This record gives sequence, C-alpha cells and structure tokens, in this order.
Amino acid sequence: MKPERWQQIEALFQRALEHDSAERSGFLDQACAGDQSLRREVEVLIAAHEKAGSFIESPAFEVEARDLADEARQATDDSVKRAAALIAGQSISHYRIIEQLGEGGMGEVYLAQDTRLGRQIALKLLPAQFTRDAERVRRFEQEARAASALNHPNIVTIHEIAQVDSSHFIATEFIEGVTLRQHMTAARMKLGEVLDIAAQVASALAAAHAAGIVHRDIKPENIMVRTDGYVKVLDFGLAKLTERQAFAVDTEAATRALVQTHPGMVIGTVTYMSPEQARGRAVDARTDIWSLGVVLYEMVAGRVPFAGETPSDVIVSTLERESPPLACYSAEVPAELERIVDKALRKNREERYQTVKDLYLDLRNLKQELEVEARLERSLQSHASGREAATDSGGQAAAAAIGRESAARTADVGVAHPTSSAEYLVSEIKRHKRGVVVGLVTTVLALVTVVVVLSIASHSWISRPPKQPETSAAPVRSIAVLPFKSLSSDASDDYLGLGMADTLITRLSSMNQIVVRQTSAVRKFISPDQDPVAAGRELKVDAVLETSMQRVGDRIRVNLRLVRVSDGSSLWTGKVEEQVNDTFAVQDRVAEQVARALVPQLTGNEKNLLAKHYTQNPEAHDLYMRGRYQWYTSATDPAKKERAIKFFNQAIEKDPDFALAYSALADTYMDLASDAPPTETMPKAKEAALKALRIDDTLSDSHRSLGIVKAYYEWDWAGAEQEFKRAIDLNPNSPEAHSAYGRYLTVTGRNVEALAEMKRSQELGDPPSATGLLFALAGAHQYDRLIEEGRKMEPNAYLHSWMGVAYSEKGMHAEAIAELQKAASLSRGATLMKAQLGHAYAVAGRRAEAENSLSELKALAGQRYVSPYDIALIYVGLGDKEQAFAWLEKAYQERARRLWALKVNPSWDSLRSDSRFADLLRRIGLPQ
Amino acid sequence: MTPVAPTHEVTQLLIDWSNGNKAALDKLMPLVDAELHRLAHHYMRRENPGHTLQTTALVNEAYLRLVDQTHAHWKNRAHFFAIAAQLMRRILVDHARSRQYAKRGGGARKMLLEETMMVSPERRADLIELDEALNQLAAIDPRKAEVVELRFFGGLSVEETAEALAISAVTVMRDWRMAKAWLYNELSNET
Repeated sequence: MKPERWQQIEALFQRALEHDSAERSGFLDQACAGDQSLRREVEVLIAAHEKAGSFIESPAFEVEARDLADEARQATDDSVKRAAALIAGQSISHYRIIEQLGEGGMGEVYLAQDTRLGRQIALKLLPAQFTRDAERVRRFEQEARAASALNHPNIVTIHEIAQVDSSHFIATEFIEGVTLRQHMTAARMKLGEVLDIAAQVASALAAAHAAGIVHRDIKPENIMVRTDGYVKVLDFGLAKLTERQAFAVDTEAATRALVQTHPGMVIGTVTYMSPEQARGRAVDARTDIWSLGVVLYEMVAGRVPFAGETPSDVIVSTLERESPPLACYSAEVPAELERIVDKALRKNREERYQTVKDLYLDLRNLKQELEVEARLERSLQSHASGREAATDSGGQAAAAAIGRESAARTADVGVAHPTSSAEYLVSEIKRHKRGVVVGLVTTVLALVTVVVVLSIASHSWISRPPKQPETSAAPVRSIAVLPFKSLSSDASDDYLGLGMADTLITRLSSMNQIVVRQTSAVRKFISPDQDPVAAGRELKVDAVLETSMQRVGDRIRVNLRLVRVSDGSSLWTGKVEEQVNDTFAVQDRVAEQVARALVPQLTGNEKNLLAKHYTQNPEAHDLYMRGRYQWYTSATDPAKKERAIKFFNQAIEKDPDFALAYSALADTYMDLASDAPPTETMPKAKEAALKALRIDDTLSDSHRSLGIVKAYYEWDWAGAEQEFKRAIDLNPNSPEAHSAYGRYLTVTGRNVEALAEMKRSQELGDPPSATGLLFALAGAHQYDRLIEEGRKMEPNAYLHSWMGVAYSEKGMHAEAIAELQKAASLSRGATLMKAQLGHAYAVAGRRAEAENSLSELKALAGQRYVSPYDIALIYVGLGDKEQAFAWLEKAYQERARRLWALKVNPSWDSLRSDSRFADLLRRIGLPQ
Repeated sequence: MTPVAPTHEVTQLLIDWSNGNKAALDKLMPLVDAELHRLAHHYMRRENPGHTLQTTALVNEAYLRLVDQTHAHWKNRAHFFAIAAQLMRRILVDHARSRQYAKRGGGARKMLLEETMMVSPERRADLIELDEALNQLAAIDPRKAEVVELRFFGGLSVEETAEALAISAVTVMRDWRMAKAWLYNELSNET
C-alpha cells in the first residue's frame, strides 16, 4: 500500500469515528467522493473497530497466561458441556444439581445443593456397570464410610451413599479447588509445595491404613488441592468396585480385571499401579506407598517414572525398568528426596517403605530441613550489611535462581504426561457411549496384550532369556564398567579412576543375571577420551557404564551413565555425591544404584555381596587401589609389578584382614613368575592366596591363583582342578576363572572340555583368554582352525606366537617366522617369544639366526631371569636333543612355570619318542 | 521450586540483551516463563465458575517482578520501555509458538481458539498471528506498530507510551485505535 493511500484511509477512519454512527455514512459519501474502494477500506476498518471490543486491550502477557490456564482447563470444560447427564435444576434425592464439575474414572461429578441442610455438596454418580454386584457395593460402602468416619482433615468427608432407582451416588463435601492433575498441568510446583502435598496425602493414607483401609488407586486425579492449600484424598474404597476379580485365584483374570475396558482409561490407571498390582497379586498398604511414590515423582519431574505408549508398555516399564533419577529432570533435587522416592518405588515391596507413616515422617522432616535452610539463608543475607556485600550476595542468589530456572525449564521441554486429562476424559466419554460390546472387545484385546507382555517380561527378570534378537529394547545382559574419568586435572587421581572401576566390577560381579567385564578387559580404556560405544563394541557388551568423578570442595561427585551400545542411547543416569574422604560411601552408593538400574530384583546373597566391604580401613583400600592400578597398567614392566606388590603389602599392614589385598598380591606374584624364578615368586603367591582364602573363602580369584600354584608349581593336578572348579562356582562370569581352567584342561590333554571352557571365557570377553583358545587349539593340533580363529582376533604377542607355532607345524616357515617376529617385537623382548622365534628359525633351516637367538638369550640370562625352558626350546629346534634335555631338566629342578606347555606345544614333538621326555612328563604328573 | 530473581538481575539481562548479548535472552526466557505459569496458576485456582477475579493487579505484579523500570542503568525510561516491550514480544511469541508446537501442529490450536471464542464474546488475540500482522503493519506504518508493541507487549499505559515515543497521548490513542482496527481486521480475515 502506498503511504499516501494509507494516510488517506487513516484520516478518513479517524474523522469518521468523530461522527456519530448515524452520520458516518453521509460523511463517507462526501469524503470519498465516489472512490468506492477507498470507502470500502475505511468501512471495513470502522466495522473492525466496532467489533474489536477488548481485543488486545489486555497485555500480551495476560493473554498468554490465560491461554496456558485454558489449556489446562480445556478438557474439563469441554467434557462438562458435552457430557452432562444431569442438568442444572434437576434433583436426585434431596440434592438439586447446580452444575457438572467434571467426570472422573468413576463417574460424573456434580455440584449440588443439599436442600435439607442448605449446603453445597459434590455428588458423584457411579456408573451402573460397577454397581450391579450388590455384595461389592456393600463392601465399597463399608470401606468408604469407614475412611470418612476417620474424620481426617485430608480425607474427603462422605455425607451419604445412597441409591435412587438404579443409580448409586455418593454425596461428599464440596471441595473448592482443582485436582492435583490440573494443578500440576497449570504450573510447575515448588519443592516445598510438592513435599507439603505428598505429606498430606501420606497423612491421609496413614490414618486409613491404621484402620485397615487400602486406597488402591492413588493418582493425581484422586487428589484435590483446595484453594487454601489443603489436600483432600478422594474415592477411598472405590477401587473395591472396579477390582472385580482382583482376588480371584488365577492371575490372568486378575490382570484382566485391572486392565479392562477402554485403553484410554487403562493408561490413567496403570501408570500409578504398583508392580504387585500389575501382576494381579493381592495388594496391601504398601501398594499405596508405591502409587504415592509415582505421584511424588511426577510432581517433581513433571513426568511419570514408568512411561510407555500403551498400557502394556507402562506395565513392562513398571515391572522391569528403574526410574531415571529425579536429578535428570530438575537440577535442585535434594539427595534426600531422591532417596525417599527411591525407597517408595522399590519394586519388591519388602524393600519399600513398610508403612506410609515412615514415608510421611521422611517427607515432613525433609520439608522442615529445607525450611530451616531457607530461613538460615534469608537471615544470612539480611545480615550481610554494607551496600557492596548486599549487592554481591543478591547477585549470586539471582544467578543461582536463574541457573535453577534454566535447568527447570530445560527439564520442562518435552514433558509429556502419560495421558492428559483431556485425552483421559475424552476416552472416558467414548467408553460410555460405545457401550458394552466395544468394552468386551477391548477387554479381550487388552487381556491378550497384557498376558503376552507379562509372559515376556517374567522371562527376562526371572532368568536370562535365551538368545533374543538384538532389538533396541533388548535387555542388558552384559556390561562393561569403563575406568572412571576424573574431571579434575589432578593426575595423581589416575589410580582412583581405575581403582574405583575395579572395586565396582568386583562388587557387580556378584550379580548372576549380568555379565560384567573384568578389569583386565576394560583397563585398556583408561584414557579419558574413550568413546563408550566403541569400547562397548570391542568388549562385546550390551551396555557400557560411563562414569565421571569430580571433586567439588570437600565433596566428590560421581555422575553415572549407562549407554546402550547398539544405538548409543542413554539407558539410565545416576548421580552420587559424598564427602571426598569417604570413598566407601561413594562406592556403596554407586554399586547400589548401578545394580538396581540393571537388575530390579536381587537375591539376598547378591545384595550382601554388592554391599560387601573387604576392608573397613580407608587407607588400606586406597593403597589397594593404587596397587591394582600399577598391576593393571604393568603389561610387561616388572618394575610396576614390584610397585604393585609394595602397595598391596602396605595395604595389608594397615589391615591384616584385607582378603582382597592378599588375593591381588597372589595375582601379582604369579604374574611375576614369568620374569623371576618361580621358586621366589610361586611360594609367595601361594601364601598370599591361602591367607586371602583363610579370611574369605569365597574369593574366586584366590581359588584360581591357588589352582595355578597347585598345577604349575606343585604339579598337584587333582588339587588344582578342585580350585579351578571352585573359582568358577564362585564367579561363573569370570573369564579368568574359565580360561585358567581351560588352560589346565589343555595342559592335561582334555581338549574337548578345554575348548568349551575357552569358548566360554571368550564369550565373557577377556582378551587374554582369547589366546587361551589358541592354546587349546594348538593342544588339539587343530592348526588350520587356530590360524582361522587367530585372524579374527585382536593382535597381541601371544596371538602371533601361537599363529607362528601353527604355521611352523604346517611347514609354512616364512609365515611362522613373520608371526613370531611380530610376537617378539610386541612383547618387547619377552624371552619366550625370542625363544619361539629362535626355534622357528632353526626348524626353517636358518641356523645362524637360531644360534644368534640362542646366544642372545644366554647373554640375557646374565642380566635377568631367563627360563631354562626357553633355552631348551631353541636347542630342540636346532636338533640338539642332549642340550634340550639338559635345559629341560634345569627347568624341572626350578619348577619352571612354562613346563605346563610341554605336552601341548608341538615344538617338542621331536622329543616325544624319547624315554627321557616321557619320564619328564611322568615326573611332572602330566599324562603322556 | 524457584524463587523469582531480583528485578535488578532481570534489568541487567535486559541491558545485556539490548547490547547484543544473545545469551541474555536464554536466561530471561525461563524467568518470564515462570511468571506466566504463576499467573496461569492463579487463573486456574481462583476462576472457578461464579468467581471473577481482578487480574490487572496480578499482571502488574508479574511485570514488577520482571522489570525494574526505575533502574539507573537506563539512559532514559523511554529507551528502557522500548527494549522491554521488544523483548517481551519476542519471548511471549516464542512461548506461544512453542506451546503450539507442543500441541503437534496448528490444527489443534485453531480449534481451541474457535471454541474459546464461542465461550467468550470477546476475541482473544492469537499472539503468533498478531506478531505476523504487526510486522506487516510496521512495514506500512512503523509508529503504529511501535505503539502496539509498547502497549500490548510491553504493558505500557497510554501516557508511558506517549513518553517513550515522544508523541502526545492523543496521538497514541489515535494510533492505537487505527492499529487495533486494522489488526483485528487482518486477523479476522485470516481465520
């Protein structure tokens, strides 16, 4: 539009309005002078002006706030207008209907005038389908009256339960307020208010429970928030009418009763249903505690803890999943509130709050604490005198407030209530209109779904299901705990990251349902920039626990995140915060949270093991973690192993009963046995393992260590096998236990069993054990398969060494030598690899290089321990039987550990026909 | 769960925003959001059938919480008013937009509006449509758009608007009624 035209229009518009409406037409006729389009434009604006009324007269801020309020109220308003069955002015008994207030799961509610007593009451009409069974109605009445008779301020008072013609109705006090559902939808609630409301509901329930009444249907729709802040719990006893077959013998029928009718209604109900209700079991007071826990959670988080698209999904979630910590949704959730909600939402009701009174007390105490804190803060602020100080603290408080607000706002984004009151009510109305036939069909459908879902669900929590397809919803059956990342720059904390992970792994390993990758497998992911998904793929686990630690003042904060490996999604997050010097408390809470996130129901024994402290002495534990760090990062560095031994011994000094430290000591000594004479290390390993077992006979690792000592040092093969078996019994998920036993079986020639154990060990994901499989294949003389398997594995020195042996046996010398060169270089000079290479040179006819290797080893023996077995290996390659036997005899005298391979390693084949070889095997106790 | 930030903090954020600090907007939005919810909550709680509530006081209270108009940082009140109104417009329109988005598309919202209109004879503005229409108006007659921005989005009185724009109150009134009629017509034509 041209500016001149606009000005022209405006001038006419303004002037026309100065005229009375009667004169306007005449004025415009004259002013527009035949310009009809101009006139039309002005007339349109004048018409708009007349109609506009209060349009944009209220500020936008108010408009937006009203829209928000409308949204929350819309459903109620609409349904009231559409579904009123009783109309204003109509009377039922001596109640005159004023208007409909709403419609809940259990019938229409009206505001009515009690014409006898001249007061306003709420009148609820009960749907006929729930009142056909007279016995049920009687029980409902009995319970409802009993609850009302308690005269509790938070329980709605019932004036009358009566029947007029075929309709049953309840007349109760009229509560001026909104349901908790509407209240939550309208505005984000303050923590104080949340606690206040929850405490009032708990108080009502405590009184009811004391009178033997269980509500069974606690949900935001049944909780009224009065304008003055009072909370009233509605509908006590009403569940008695709906739980038609709740106490029937078969659970299917019970489930049907609970999940019947229209899906829209079901969602509203199952969301707050306790696990025992969802399973159709008989319920007690603790079911109300659960439901209140869900309501409490929803008030804080703005979403329900167990959500799903369909009722069946919600049930599965209720039965199987752990709720995300509240901290995920709201930044300022006190740890105590998190604990309270956790305790109310324990799936096993034995672990839940046992009485609602206890829950009530915890809520009240927390509320009081927060109030005291707030008062304290306020008085501190008002004491801060001086303008600068005042400005400063104000600024900080504001910054904090904004921080909280932003966090809360973020949390709000995407909040989806499981069913808005709108959806709920609409579906309710539909249900009423469609009638019985549709109801029946949906009942059957719901029944089918629920039974199927329940049977799937029950499998996955009772036992590990057989090979399920990898879908995104597949349960987590194996996890890897990555070394904790330290967010502080303090490098001295490095040991802590691995040490904490190690301790957590030890604890989690007690859970039978979940395979936990051992520290030996995850230690390589120690650098802080690990991609959890890549790590998880490599470790072949379903999920990875990623953890970061941060020191905040004198507190340590641990953030936990369980990442699904298949899609990188977060399955669960958790947070633990404790005093920095209380690593025990940190570890306890981390272990507990993670365990609960993974396995909803733990056995008593598992729980004990999860909570087990191997020492009460924090210093001892710290030294232990430092030692484990040295050991796990030692690779082929004997100096680190020595340092580890020093730490373990210091730990034992602090706590002579620290079984784990002895166990670790045994492991380390045994590891050193390749770099030191076995006579020096193995007795110490044995002593440490025995001490560990004397303190705690249930340590799988120590039994394994003892088995190794018995087998390869004492050549007590029968004794060793017992230890290995016990180690596996104690920790069936330990790849180390399986591979140690597999090695034993290989060495003793039981190849079939050996392969099975090695396979199991490989499934459990320990990379060193993977070469154990090759060892077993070499023992079984399956060279082609050995090479094939070896190609699939991640290369390491042992792998190349066994590949070299296999190629060598196949006469493929060039390949053999190439593999063994790699092995020697990867092992950074381990004498066994050098010896095996020397052997291969010799067999390939490259004698000079073989001699070279031999003299190199002999020279090395002057500087450090070289196993006589290694030297014998080159001699046998060179065809020098005499020297080979001489060195083997030496190895026998010092009980060289590698003699275990005598029967398995094909490199010795040329000696096997010699009686001296048979004699040697006999003396060692190996079968011939 | 959140105490309201002191007004001088909000004012500082306004200054930051007017100086081009985009992050200030992100901090302001939650504050406005909280106030909106607070007010909506009042409506919810008190406006039961039969109750009418004087809401002007509430709105004013909310504004006072959000903006400290006397703050010394401002070159002059007019400058402050202009910035505050501009910002409120942006935040409120975003707010309405995200609400609409949350309802999965505009269809649902349209229906809701029609029903609202059936109930109340007065037409309540759709902030998103209004924002667009206001942009069109600004292209034709920038001052009228400013008047609307200051009064409707900024919540200013006629006198304050006059002061902010350095025009007379009578002019504000004249601009206002023209703009209001034009906007009303625009919005009626659209729906």
